[in-house]
Amino acid sequence: MSDNIPVWRIKYLPHSLNEVCGRTELIQRLSDIIKERNFPHLLFIGPEGSGKTTIATLFSEEFLGKYFKSNFQKVYADMPLNSEELKQARSDAYISTSKIGSLAGKKVTTPAFIQVKIKPFIELKALGDVPFKILIVKNFEALDSNQQAFRRLMEIYGKNCRMILITTKASAIIDPIISRCQIFLISPPKFEDFKGEITKIVDQEDVEIEENNIKLLYKITNGKIAEAIDLLQLSSMSGKKIDNTVLYQNLMNSQTNLVRNLLLICLKGDFLKARELSRKIQSNYKYSSQEVFKLMLKEMLKLPLSRYAREKIINLIADADFRAVDGLDTDIQISNLLAKLCDFAEIL
Amino acid sequence: MKDTLERPWVEKYRPQSIKEMAIPQAKVSGHRVALDEELRTFIKTFLTEIQNINEKNKKIRIYNRTVEDKKQKKELSVPPEKSAVLLEGPPGVGKTSIVYALANDLNMEVIETNASDTRTRDALESKLKETVKSRGIMDFIVQSKAKLILIDEIDGIYGVTDRGAVPAVLDLIENTQFPIIMCSNDYKRNLQTLYNKIRKIEISALSKDEILKVVKRILKKEKIDNFNPKDLNYIIEKNEGDLRGTINDLQGIYQGGLDTDTSELIYQLNRDNNEEIFSLIRELFQDARTLQQARNITDKSDVDYNFLYKWINENLPTFIKKTNELKTAYENLSLADEVFGRIRKNQYWSLLPYFYDLFSGGVVLARKYHPENEGFRRINFPRFTSTGFFSLTVAEHSFVEKIQEKYNVSEIEIIQNLLPFLRKLTSDSRKYLKLVSDWFDLDAKEKKLLTK
Repeated sequence: MSDNIPVWRIKYLPHSLNEVCGRTELIQRLSDIIKERNFPHLLFIGPEGSGKTTIATLFSEEFLGKYFKSNFQKVYADMPLNSEELKQARSDAYISTSKIGSLAGKKVTTPAFIQVKIKPFIELKALGDVPFKILIVKNFEALDSNQQAFRRLMEIYGKNCRMILITTKASAIIDPIISRCQIFLISPPKFEDFKGEITKIVDQEDVEIEENNIKLLYKITNGKIAEAIDLLQLSSMSGKKIDNTVLYQNLMNSQTNLVRNLLLICLKGDFLKARELSRKIQSNYKYSSQEVFKLMLKEMLKLPLSRYAREKIINLIADADFRAVDGLDTDIQISNLLAKLCDFAEIL
Repeated sequence: MKDTLERPWVEKYRPQSIKEMAIPQAKVSGHRVALDEELRTFIKTFLTEIQNINEKNKKIRIYNRTVEDKKQKKELSVPPEKSAVLLEGPPGVGKTSIVYALANDLNMEVIETNASDTRTRDALESKLKETVKSRGIMDFIVQSKAKLILIDEIDGIYGVTDRGAVPAVLDLIENTQFPIIMCSNDYKRNLQTLYNKIRKIEISALSKDEILKVVKRILKKEKIDNFNPKDLNYIIEKNEGDLRGTINDLQGIYQGGLDTDTSELIYQLNRDNNEEIFSLIRELFQDARTLQQARNITDKSDVDYNFLYKWINENLPTFIKKTNELKTAYENLSLADEVFGRIRKNQYWSLLPYFYDLFSGGVVLARKYHPENEGFRRINFPRFTSTGFFSLTVAEHSFVEKIQEKYNVSEIEIIQNLLPFLRKLTSDSRKYLKLVSDWFDLDAKEKKLLTK
């Protein structure tokens, strides 16, 4: 079955906690928890692509066993609600006058996200022979001030449901939440483990890669195993043997390439073209303005520019980003940044 | 004589009688009817009906005076479907005109109300109710002209803001002494209760030949014979059965002089909703030199500022080419956007003037270099709106769903991370394209996403 999967990153997805690449200590702790059949709310902190969600899902799967499907849910805190869900939230917020209690006829002001995505799941008791349900909340930091609403939820419904909160930014989580959770720091796999995983894949897929190139792979992907596997697969298409030139050739992913082009066009001073490209990037990859700014910042550092120019450009990007927070039309703010970059290029 | 010259042709040639009209096709619940006959019979039946009922009511009133409260009979009224009719059709086909022409033929007086004058229930009631219920003092002495009530643009009056208006209209219909004709452009859901009670006549757009007949008559009367038939055809086609728009276009072109390039004139005279915004933006960028001028231009227009500054954003680079001017303009525009965002957030509407000045004046004054003869610049519609929301197209959505069946990650991850990778993987090799699409079970549309 797994032989037919054309995408390696899916093919080599771990199917149990033991298969997870490296991080043995952490896996051991989680396995102990499964044996004990009890755990407090958990908070997973770690960089992007380090496998937090995969580990959390596998953990829940093993903890819940055959009752996994009915007692597990994964929600994305950064996914905006669609109109239907918003409508539902609005109607749910109103408590009918036919109900008994002091709240009858009033409106509850729970944030819509929690009203629609969280409450319906955690309010109900666990089904089957498990102590509680498990709810995974991804990108928890995106909730901002709505985190406050979680404080009570975690206490009131703790009996029904334990939560695994996943975040990349520990600093964005408010203290009361942190104090209610057991914290797991999840780092990318160590090089040794990374190497083991890659060699396993290399052997199975019948390609060759030298050890120092594995090192290179580790370095350029920052240990993100899924990204490394993607890169490996792309490189394997051009030949059985993978060396550093092939790796570098395939490294450039299309988004960063486009953003780099965007910067170059700006520095040539062609505003109209730049705006067109930036719109294309936004609509093709569904980036928010903030993500575009971030990518631009990242790519700008790779361009050969003077220190003065870099400083100036960072300033411009930061300014635009700040304005976008308060402003309404992000396209205007991005256009503003592009115009300023064009103008700055002329001074250079 | 000068007076007639300045009158819009639409008013000047508004038909005085049904005979002069290009009568549009009409349908009542799917069956074709002759519009003029339909309206004529409607008015006649109403008038006979109301006479009967008034006489009966008189008797009831006399009877009521003699008995105690409990035994009193209710006064009768004309059933709604006989007292009011709704004309629904596209703009400019002659809904209002036919009512006036008909009233003229039948020697009736039209009492008109429309969205431009009355927008609220109170205004509507104060204007109509007295006329509807009572009869003038003179009515008892001389036989005055019969009256006809025309509620024009009913879809405009009774928008979401004023829910009370529909009951007001229903009330009016039940108690009226005069026939009521209503006009509307399109179907509105909040008028559903109204639709259920009254007869609706659907009017379709005028045919090309009918418009041509009317237009030729007008041209003959104006003694214009040098109009290029091709241009005429173009104007008629562009207006899509809108006679009023056609006549307005004609007048505009004729009075603008026929020497210049007609097609450009036609373009400038574009009669759809964007026309005002087009000319406004041209004026702002090409004519305004001072803050005061910019202010005047934005003040006098009633274009929604929510849209206006987006239009300015879209068209800024069309008019301002120099990068340093562009930079200043955008600096001000982005500041305007920021200010507007803060105003909205904190509800400080009194600070709105700053926003106005920044996006109009601030942008316009950034332009220092005005070429002598700039020529015609095309205005673009603000197509791109980044709302910051993550929304997928239909194809993307089904693609994401198919992927999630096999590989459960978030939509964002699929679009931003996996899709670009799959594109790269499949772009070089047909084998992989087949493998991937087979495994994920993608259909042709979803496959297209990969090859895009």
